[in-house]
Amino acid sequence: MAMNKLFLVTRPNHDSATRYLYHWSELVIDEAKRKHIPVYDLSGNKATKTTFLSYLRSKHPGFLFLNGHGDAQTVTGQNYEVLLDETVNKEFVTDTIIYARSCDSGKILGSTLIQRGVLAFIGYTRKFIVGTTRSKTTKPLEDRLAKLFLEPSNLIPTTLLKGHSAGEADRRSKQEMLKNFQKMISSAGSFEERFAARWLWSDIRSQVVIGDQNASLNS
Amino acid sequence: MNDQTLKKLKELVLARLTVMPQDISISIGDKNLDKKALTEHVQSEDEIGKQMMEMELEFLQDLASGAIYGHE
Repeated sequence: MAMNKLFLVTRPNHDSATRYLYHWSELVIDEAKRKHIPVYDLSGNKATKTTFLSYLRSKHPGFLFLNGHGDAQTVTGQNYEVLLDETVNKEFVTDTIIYARSCDSGKILGSTLIQRGVLAFIGYTRKFIVGTTRSKTTKPLEDRLAKLFLEPSNLIPTTLLKGHSAGEADRRSKQEMLKNFQKMISSAGSFEERFAARWLWSDIRSQVVIGDQNASLNS
Repeated sequence: MNDQTLKKLKELVLARLTVMPQDISISIGDKNLDKKALTEHVQSEDEIGKQMMEMELEFLQDLASGAIYGHE
C-alpha cells in the first residue's frame, strides 16, 4: 500500500516544555508548506484525542509528528490528555511513520505500535531533555541554548518530508546533535553550553528508531 | 550499583550542580528546573534525580572510553 503523504502534527501548548515544542514545530510546518505537503496542525487546544482520532480515521496521514508529554506507553496532547497508546485502532496507524518527541516514547510504545502496523517509530528511551535559557522561556525561538537541542530534532521530520528514510532522518539528526555537542564542549562553547552538553549527550544516546529503518514517505 | 557507589555518584552530581549556571534550566518531562530545583530532585533521588545521576555516569563513562570523541 502506497504511503499517504499527508502530515499530521500535534503540538499542545500548556506549560513551558510544550511551549518550546509548540514553537519549534512551527518551523517544520512552514517547511512542509513550502514543499506543498498537506499539513494537519493540531495545535494548542486542538490537540485533543477526539480531534486526533478523527483525523487518523478520516485522513489517514502517513506521517505523525507528535510533540508533548508522555511516558513509556503514552503520548499526550493538550493538558495531558492521552492521544496515543496501545489501544489505538490498528487501521488508524498501519503503514505510518511516527516521530514522538516526548519522554520515554521509545521504551515500550514504539515496539507496541510496530506490532500494530506502524512502519517506523522514532522516539526516546528516556526523558527527552532541552536545555533552556531562563530569560527566554517565553520566547522559545530566541533561545540559543534550546536551539542546540531542538534544531537537530527538527531534522527528523524535515528529512522525512524530503522523502528520506527513517534511518536517515535519525542519522542526520544525531549528526547535527553531535556537531552541536562538539561545539558546546570546545573552547568555542560558552560556560552555559559546556554545562548543558551532558544533557544533549543524553538525547543523542536515547534517540531510537524502531521498525523499518528504510521506511520513507515514498514507500 | 551498590549503595556506596550510588552515594559517591550522588555526591559527584551534586558537586557538579554547584557550578550550574544560574541563567539556564533544564526542561525534562513536564518540569523546567533551575539549579535549586534540580539539586532537590537529586537530593531526594526521585525519578528525575536518578536520571540525572544515570546521565552523569554515562557521560563520564563515554568521556573516559573516548566514545564521545569517537564521533568526531
